[in-house]
Amino acid sequence: MKKPLAILGELFIALLTVLWIMPLVWLVVTSLKSENTVMSSTLSFVFAPTLENYRKAFASTLLGRWMLNSLAVAVITTILTVLIDSTMAYVLARIPFRGRNALFLFILAGMMIPFEVLIIQLYLECTTLGLANTLVAVILPRLALPIGVFILTQFFKAIPSVLEEAAFIDGASRFTVFRTIILPLSKSAIFAVAIIAFINAWNDFLWPLVAISSSEKYTITVGIANFQGTHGTEYSLIMAGAVLASIPQIIMYLLFKKNIVKSIAMTGIKE
Amino acid sequence: MLSRDVDHKKRDILFFSLPYLTVYVAFMVFPVVYGLYLSFFDWNILSTKVFIGLKNYVEAFRDPEFLSSFSHTLQFVLISTPLIIVVGFIMAMIAVRPTKTGKIAETVFFLPYMLSTSVVGTLWAWIFQKNYGLANQVLTSVGLSPVGWLTDPAVAMTSIIIATLWWTAGFNMILFSAGMKQIPEEIYDAAKIDGAGSFTTLTKITIPLLKETSLLVLVLQVIASFKVFGQVYVMTGGGPYGTTRVLVQYVYKTGFSYFRLGYASAMSIILFVVILLVSVIQLFRKSDNTQ
Repeated sequence: MKKPLAILGELFIALLTVLWIMPLVWLVVTSLKSENTVMSSTLSFVFAPTLENYRKAFASTLLGRWMLNSLAVAVITTILTVLIDSTMAYVLARIPFRGRNALFLFILAGMMIPFEVLIIQLYLECTTLGLANTLVAVILPRLALPIGVFILTQFFKAIPSVLEEAAFIDGASRFTVFRTIILPLSKSAIFAVAIIAFINAWNDFLWPLVAISSSEKYTITVGIANFQGTHGTEYSLIMAGAVLASIPQIIMYLLFKKNIVKSIAMTGIKE
Repeated sequence: MLSRDVDHKKRDILFFSLPYLTVYVAFMVFPVVYGLYLSFFDWNILSTKVFIGLKNYVEAFRDPEFLSSFSHTLQFVLISTPLIIVVGFIMAMIAVRPTKTGKIAETVFFLPYMLSTSVVGTLWAWIFQKNYGLANQVLTSVGLSPVGWLTDPAVAMTSIIIATLWWTAGFNMILFSAGMKQIPEEIYDAAKIDGAGSFTTLTKITIPLLKETSLLVLVLQVIASFKVFGQVYVMTGGGPYGTTRVLVQYVYKTGFSYFRLGYASAMSIILFVVILLVSVIQLFRKSDNTQ
């Protein structure tokens, strides 16, 4: 027989778990209710579910467009971030030269720059460059990911240099070595950086809010926040939009839970 | 090294590092410098820049709106930080249990962190909606009177903190449980043999051995809390009566509604310095340990 204290503990865990999942259940439940059912002040989890809100979200709002925008931004950001972070890390890990440590510190210092304090300047800069109100402006400032360079540099350093030297003797260029030896051996680190970049880009809110002014170019986060203003009381529609906006992350989480958890535990990045 | 290697070394270094350095300097380093420069000017896009020295900084510390935004942010930091850390710690203790319930709980606790600010904001704005929201429906169903979660100035900040707690506690759970997994099992076994109860084990072993992790969590949490914006913007827009307006939001408003770019830059710099001071604490701790 279990001790009463252990049972109490199990009960507490169950309670906390239910409490934590409740808002998500409420989110999905609301999105499946008709407008009339939502506006009744009874706690109803029994109702005739409808997909009407989802249809309406696609048909009468720009939600589909926003999701495509976000997908484009997140995918391009992820690919470019991995590309430029890994080449930078290769230099820092593998090519000795004078001033390399200083350069490494200069890049690490970027981890201390909070993006939130740059929005005014970035807005002015992007306007000057003619990038105002473009998705390019949403992408560019997010490409330099110092934590990514850090992760990859540490990882590249741990790869034995024997493999590389053999390739150099065979006459391979640095680019070939990087592409055919370093990158294939660093899949797990690259994957960690890609996950961080993708989640950051998909969830980014303040910068796209500032950078984009026309609604057809919104990313999904800005679009959903904007729902509040334009569909103020249509809660079931707003929640349907919120569910759709969350699908990519939920899928990613279910597929890559271990990797996501590991990359957070490894770096402690917090947006 | 090899001759061909030497030949192309400079070229390769440039080729490999230029893309990153260009983007990094253009969109991170330059904006910091530019922001500092702008903070010494009076400028509202249409007018010409007028150098005014430190006047923007002086104005900030006399501006009741800036001061109240600063104090709301501080209030948010001071209340949310211990709360989110303690809940994250409790979650980690649950998550490291090798049972099935532990695994399920871990998944559920972390799930909200995957959602974007605006989804979290709209969801909790709906939960806290005055007439039909879940929170008030639960309250009235047990005979209590409804609360103006987002409309009552005395409650609104608490509501935002609750939403943030739900959203981010799982992040701290991950860091704590990573730390807990590194504590050798033998220490716990030894404690058990010595007859230590679970409370003693917690206060004498787990917590002291997680000192490093706790400091990391604390610093990250404080920094993240100082940067709070999205959930406030979506849930209350800074209201009611500006009682939840936070720093980033005031910078945003000063820059893009009042177009006072010099002043907004000065306030950004102040926030930057505050955050920098918090990160420096961690750096010092790190260098202490390596010695």
